[in-house]
Amino acid sequence: MTAGYLLRSLLLLILALFSANASNWLYLAKLSSVGSISDEKTCEKLRGLIQRQVQICKRNLEVMDAVRRGAQIAIDECQYQFRNRRWNCSTLETVPVFGKVVTQGTREAAFVYAISAASVAFAVTRACSSGELDKCGCDRNVHGFSPEGFQWSGCSDNIAYGVAFSQSFVDVRERGKGQSSNRALMNLHNNEAGRKAILNNMRVECKCHGVSGSCELKTCWKAMPPFRKVGNVIKEKFDGATEVEQRKIGTTKVLVPRNAQFKPHTDEDLVYLEPSPDFCDFDPRTPGMLGTAGRHCNKTSKAIDGCELMCCGRGFHTEEVEVVDRCSCKFHWCCYVKCKQCRKMVEMHTCR
Amino acid sequence: MAGAIIENMSTKKLVIVGVILLLFQVFSFMVGGLIAPSPTTAVPYIATKCVDVVHHNQKNNKWFSPWGPNQCNKIRDFEEATVKRIEANNIVFAVHIPGPNKEMSAWFQFMLVILQFDIAFKMYNQIEDGAVVTIDVGLAYRDDSLSEWTQMAHSIEQRKLSCNFTTEKIIENEGRYYECDLLPFMEVGNVAHKYYLLNIRLPVNERKRVNIGIGEIKDIRLVGIHQNGGFTKVWFAMKTFLTPSILIIMVWYWRRITLMTRPPVLLERMIFALGISMTFINIPVEWFSVGFNWTWMLLFGDIRQGIFYAMLLSFWIIFCGEHLMDQTERNRFSVYWKQIGPIVFGSFCLFIFDMCERGVQLKNPFFSIWASEVGTELAMAFIIVAGICACLYFLFLCFMVFQVFRNISCKRSSLPAMTKARRLHYEGLIFRFKFLMLVTLACAAMTVIFFIISQVNEGHWHWGDYTVQVNSAFFTGIYGMWNLYVFALLFLYAPSHKLYGDEQSSVNANLICSGGHGANSGEDIQLTTTITHVDGPTEIYKMTGKEAQE
Repeated sequence: MTAGYLLRSLLLLILALFSANASNWLYLAKLSSVGSISDEKTCEKLRGLIQRQVQICKRNLEVMDAVRRGAQIAIDECQYQFRNRRWNCSTLETVPVFGKVVTQGTREAAFVYAISAASVAFAVTRACSSGELDKCGCDRNVHGFSPEGFQWSGCSDNIAYGVAFSQSFVDVRERGKGQSSNRALMNLHNNEAGRKAILNNMRVECKCHGVSGSCELKTCWKAMPPFRKVGNVIKEKFDGATEVEQRKIGTTKVLVPRNAQFKPHTDEDLVYLEPSPDFCDFDPRTPGMLGTAGRHCNKTSKAIDGCELMCCGRGFHTEEVEVVDRCSCKFHWCCYVKCKQCRKMVEMHTCR
Repeated sequence: MAGAIIENMSTKKLVIVGVILLLFQVFSFMVGGLIAPSPTTAVPYIATKCVDVVHHNQKNNKWFSPWGPNQCNKIRDFEEATVKRIEANNIVFAVHIPGPNKEMSAWFQFMLVILQFDIAFKMYNQIEDGAVVTIDVGLAYRDDSLSEWTQMAHSIEQRKLSCNFTTEKIIENEGRYYECDLLPFMEVGNVAHKYYLLNIRLPVNERKRVNIGIGEIKDIRLVGIHQNGGFTKVWFAMKTFLTPSILIIMVWYWRRITLMTRPPVLLERMIFALGISMTFINIPVEWFSVGFNWTWMLLFGDIRQGIFYAMLLSFWIIFCGEHLMDQTERNRFSVYWKQIGPIVFGSFCLFIFDMCERGVQLKNPFFSIWASEVGTELAMAFIIVAGICACLYFLFLCFMVFQVFRNISCKRSSLPAMTKARRLHYEGLIFRFKFLMLVTLACAAMTVIFFIISQVNEGHWHWGDYTVQVNSAFFTGIYGMWNLYVFALLFLYAPSHKLYGDEQSSVNANLICSGGHGANSGEDIQLTTTITHVDGPTEIYKMTGKEAQE
């Protein structure tokens, strides 16, 4: 363990105490050692949860495994979407998992909030469909008049439950602080935008089953998009995010675009308050700001993954590396790959 | 068929009958829209991946339950399986229907399951063209949550994967999913048990190329569709109410016909047959499906509907034919073979198709005619032939309606020149035809409009606090409408008692009306002669009858 790391951790600890960061619960993803969250005591031991989240945890023990899985897929997706950017969503072993990068009201923070709110909704909905949760759909949002629920009119969509749970669990931190803070407004907006990325991309699928399979009788349902698609949608929103500022209209505070010439953002758009740093250099005072030194880059690309931009003009090393690759493989649909090993020489570029 | 009630009824009475029928119509829409829930529910399931540690034989009857007591040894994803060196043949996809804390019920009537694969794109493990998945599937049931599972069906099925990858096939896009078509998986004609369990295996055999080249499967998703219990109850209640209504009017109708001295004419018999086929649909035998384990109810329902449709289509042809007002003597079923032929043949094709699909499903619920190449072609052939028959039928029908209208306009021009008796006869015929034509068109238009609304709409409208179930309203409303249609036919086209004893043997007036040539003097001469000789006296009776009524 280097001294730098120690210092960073120390700083982080202090920061964690002072800045209440709403994405702290993502730390759940790192708690693989806890095993299953099966009793109320575990809830209190979980790091990163605020008191109200602990209460939700105690009331919804069975859902917590899904929430943890949600945190994991949020981080995975973030790292996939940002793999070619200067900030590549690298996590630390501490709270908050993304370091201080996310504690400011930047674009990156907007993305993290959106993807994590979406991931909880996604994971809980999935858990509903695989039968892991007892009270999906049928408890709330039952439409129909009879108390018999499922027998009379079926249950409502699982996604409604997933989104509702995400709203109560993820948003509770912002609601706790009151509506006044502009960060709270921004986070709430981005959380909702993340969930909208799922809701507005639900695929409607239908099956005809009338007489002789005719469409006289047709049943349609909404299928959740794969999470990669949700990630892509949120990434697109990240690229077109709107910079906003808080303004008071009447008695309520709202976020409006800083540049009045831009058209106002919709529910689905991401918003941010501060411009992002350039993420070029390692900054010991900002945990998570690792800099781009040592990152691989693409020599031919002119985009952000190109060596020019990625290395912030510092230049790059080039070395010839032998890569062992798999080739002429045989696959089964699961768990079985038999490959030959092929060696080839590849030019590798690394930022200085 | 002469002197139907509708001709002798005063306009006021006719309006009253119309308003009453309309009220019932509105009522039947409201029953579906406000009381019933949506007709069907789709429940999504994601299969749990269970590990079969020692590969069991099929005979071993070991069932893997995804949750609850005695749940199987689960893995979260296949990366975990790779680490633990678990092979594809040891993985069992388990789905418990329904979800936790829920029970299936006999009120659900049927259950169909749709299969969908989540297949991730991998540069070096893509789906081959024309890939076929071989599925080893077992279905089991139990009626309380602690007893053993009992096998209901087991089969090895093949399904063709039709997946496409919408984005570019490059290494950056690895991990995105293919978009795969829904695969028909299972259809059960009744839901007699509380809990069902599906165990799916995808056995790999490299030598026989079984399940090779199907890509990297991430998940199996199923969608279970069943009728809502609430809708079934409303539907049964409606049937139970409609059956006696139609039966009573049928008895009344037939009594009227037997009271006459002449034998019933073809059209009268046809209307009666329509009543019988309507009653056949109405009789709520489905009540038994709640108590008994009858899996053939779906097939039986299809057959009943098919008979009614065939009867309705035949009725329209014969009704037009009997109102053609040319001099040909019809009144025999065999005259209409050309028009009825396509109906019978088309229905027969659909029947064979239905037997091939739902008939075989009685034995093997996983069977689908669309799964095999030959089956698909066969099914398409049946459907295309039935479609051609339908087109042929509509051509005939349109032509006949056109002919009737041509004759009507021809008659119209010669009406003033006729004697009063003859004029009343033709006016009656024309009114009778036009009335049915109008009502039929209105019914057909309603059916089509509501069908389109229910297809386009998402299924329910919010009306303040009320939710209107459009799809349910469509089903109950249209069902009620055709019942009222048959009811109105039986009532309004029954022979009028005001004319007992003076009915003619046929309505066919020996009149030549040759299309566009218009009425010429020669025709007029013939007209006057035929009136005095053939049905003059009856018309005079009728005229006096009408005058007496007024």
